[in-house]
Amino acid sequence: MRGGRAFVGLLNNPAVPSIVKHAPDLVEYIDVIPDRLWYDFEFAGTGNGRFRRAIGAIEELKECAEGRVLGGHGIGLSLPSAIPIDMAMVDEVASLAKDLDFQWFSEHLSMFLVAHGSVPNSQAGLGLPVAYDDETFRIIAAKLDILRRALGCDIILENGAVFTPVPDTEMTEPEFLNRLYAELGCGTLLDLHNLYVGQRNGTLSPPEYLEQLNPDCVKEIHIAGGDELAGFYMDSHSRLTPDDVWAWAYRFGPRFRNLRAIVFEFHESYFERLGLAGIVRELERMHELADALSARPQQRHVG
Amino acid sequence: MLVEFQQALADLVASPEACRRARANPEQLRLRYDLSPREYDRLVAMVNHKGMAWNCMLYRANRLSPLVLNLPEFCRALGPRLGPLLSEYSERHPNTNVHFYLECDRFCRFIEAKLSEGYCLEPDVLAVFRAEHTNIKLSLAATQTTLAPSLAGRAAL
Repeated sequence: MRGGRAFVGLLNNPAVPSIVKHAPDLVEYIDVIPDRLWYDFEFAGTGNGRFRRAIGAIEELKECAEGRVLGGHGIGLSLPSAIPIDMAMVDEVASLAKDLDFQWFSEHLSMFLVAHGSVPNSQAGLGLPVAYDDETFRIIAAKLDILRRALGCDIILENGAVFTPVPDTEMTEPEFLNRLYAELGCGTLLDLHNLYVGQRNGTLSPPEYLEQLNPDCVKEIHIAGGDELAGFYMDSHSRLTPDDVWAWAYRFGPRFRNLRAIVFEFHESYFERLGLAGIVRELERMHELADALSARPQQRHVG
Repeated sequence: MLVEFQQALADLVASPEACRRARANPEQLRLRYDLSPREYDRLVAMVNHKGMAWNCMLYRANRLSPLVLNLPEFCRALGPRLGPLLSEYSERHPNTNVHFYLECDRFCRFIEAKLSEGYCLEPDVLAVFRAEHTNIKLSLAATQTTLAPSLAGRAAL
């Protein structure tokens, strides 16, 4: 963050280099998913080691990264899963973090890995909801310690898009995130579109959530757009950001004293639908937001 | 146990049939998984929540996604047969492999096994399948070398 202003950027995907080339001044930060920069061959019997890097993608990213800030955005470590952390993956993430100079690293407050998968790196198929209990907190705390030591940078966790919240948990999600920050110094990647998903599907009230969340936790914001399918709204990263999301960013953003980056997420398969012009305009709006948040007096949280 | 609760949740999301069985007879969750009373109550509530259907749909869409991305013409040519084949494949292989070329290769070998068991595909569909499976094998081989391609072939979750 320069003089209190958050960086504006994109979640990395194969379309990002063309956007950076077209509008270099608008992309200051790139969120990098390390899992998309390797091929995981665990138990495939190749005899060539588990992780094979996608050399072309990494070289292209390094070119894009010139003069920009990079952060890591992992999806494979599944910190809330009640299974040991994948140390080989931690080592590979740490290696990439060093090579690409991640300024911080985020993971998801969602469960992706299952204990009895048919392959060790098998995934549940989507991010599943977490029970916000003390037991889960202790599991995450232990893994955060490992991750922080391996990467040597701040670790933040992202709120997920949840269709079936775990009922009757000991803490609400904001309370859980607040505790992670208060006790472990683990900040929050606040995905405002995931809150919008909750609102559209009737599972949460974003204003109530944001009033409860300690704003000092928030180090990064994600915005995105989604689609409706069979009566539910998804975080498909397929459209521009809805108006409600922008409204929450402007309403609650002034409280986020530690905000470092504002990131737009889109999946490359929707690049044609969004259009280069559409994404450029989104980035321009994000710069307007970043300017507005850095210009306003910091508001105190009264939640 | 939390690990059992998490496994049960993942298994339910992966199988609409398991969800139906759990709704009809929730006690079988206790027989299959080592759950605390709180975990059992939570699972029963979640499987009866309207959002569970959305979890199942998204799970299925995420399983389909790498196949559609990397075997687009074959998926198109299969038409209405894709759904039942995907269901059978997902039952046999409940967890997706994050290496999507491995996942696609595994699906292709599943199709090969079906063909050897007498499953019929029209000659033009078979030709498309063989061509795209060859591409998958080449892409997979490339990822094992320093000539690894870019991010193509891996969709984000």
